Amino acid sequence: MDELLRSLFEKKYKRLVCIIRSVISVHFNCLKFVMLGVMSFPTAVNAEGLFSQGKLIATGGVSQVEGAGGSGLTTWALITGYGTNKGMGVNAHHTAVWLSDFTLQSSGLSVGLFDRVELSFAHQWFDTGEAGARLGIGEGFTFDQDIIGAKVRLIGAAVYDQDKWLPQIAIGANYKRSGDKALVAALGAANTDSFDYYVSATKVILDQSLILSATARLTEANQFGLLGYGSATSTHTLHGEFSAAYMFTPKLVAGIDYRTKPDNLAFAEEQDAKAAYVAYFFNKNLSLTLAGVDLGTIALQGKQRGFYASLQAGF
Amino acid sequence: MRILKVIISALIFNFFALNANAQSLYEKLGENPKIHKIMVRTLELSMEDERIAFTLERSDLDRLAQLLTDQTCELTGGPCKYEGVDMKKAHVGLGLTTGHFNALVEHLQQAMREENISNRTQNQLLALFAPMHRDVVEK
Repeated sequence: MDELLRSLFEKKYKRLVCIIRSVISVHFNCLKFVMLGVMSFPTAVNAEGLFSQGKLIATGGVSQVEGAGGSGLTTWALITGYGTNKGMGVNAHHTAVWLSDFTLQSSGLSVGLFDRVELSFAHQWFDTGEAGARLGIGEGFTFDQDIIGAKVRLIGAAVYDQDKWLPQIAIGANYKRSGDKALVAALGAANTDSFDYYVSATKVILDQSLILSATARLTEANQFGLLGYGSATSTHTLHGEFSAAYMFTPKLVAGIDYRTKPDNLAFAEEQDAKAAYVAYFFNKNLSLTLAGVDLGTIALQGKQRGFYASLQAGF
Repeated sequence: MRILKVIISALIFNFFALNANAQSLYEKLGENPKIHKIMVRTLELSMEDERIAFTLERSDLDRLAQLLTDQTCELTGGPCKYEGVDMKKAHVGLGLTTGHFNALVEHLQQAMREENISNRTQNQLLALFAPMHRDVVEK
């Protein structure tokens, strides 16, 4: 099953990556250009049209690190963007995480369709800086991966079902592919591409101004997939992502994320990831998320703590 | 041991004292005069919004503001009785969407902000209105 999906993906994937890469170049400058385009778009959009942004502000979440709608580190069951069941929304994001020894960046595009389906693409790159020299892979060696995501909302309305306990529930998958096949294999990864599968439940508790979210993810990704997938001795295992946020105002949300990760590679221990963040929604077209993160030990380099900033623009 | 007793009785006393002081949502919203002001302003903003103005074209806005005030008052624990029709009947045939519903919510939020209602209190009221989405929205 996995193999079949993979081979199907492989074929279509190359062309898709080419197209998307030309839109979101690996260079931030290019993304800025896309964002400017995205931000000037709404003026051209009719108030009653497909892109009328009928959802309430902040209820599409922000782009999490893998490009899906969520918070900083965790995926939520909400569908990204401001399209209601009669509309759609498109987002571009750029995220940078400055850690003790590394820099992680992510750029991507996501689309929410009729508040039912979410499709996303993200390119991540992970600059090893001076640690690259210590690891013997060369100073400034950069790991990268592409992530294609799909999410479907199954049941529940996180915002409207305030008289029920049932959360909004979505299922999804990520196809992750390493850009450094030979190296991640040499580091002990069993695969150079892989699928994550998840089920996510998110509930807005308006009476308490709270958003609670939990996701169960079946994954074999080493350090989100940047260091390949699985190892000789381990494959997919079940992991949890938990998020709690307080809505100070409709535009200002602050919260904490906790995410468990696999620990597959023999050469380097991997730990859980944590973040505390503040997201500010300037309007429905632009949001900024700032966070303090702790990603634990990465590739033998002590505690990787740092600062996370993510800008999302959309229509 | 005695200290423990003192602490426990202080806590119990506090609990009841706090509960006695706890304001109902109706009080936190500033009771009927303020609620009425908020509803009048919500409708005013809605009339200026091309997304939903047409849904109010044939309404008697004074009467609607009073109905909304009564409804809010009753929902939040105030001494009123809402005597309008139920939400489903009140909106039948208007073809309202989630976008329309949310537009009204946004105006209600702004009206409450203008009356300096705290964000927490605003959300507590929205929590009571949110389930009406099921009855109001047709498609």
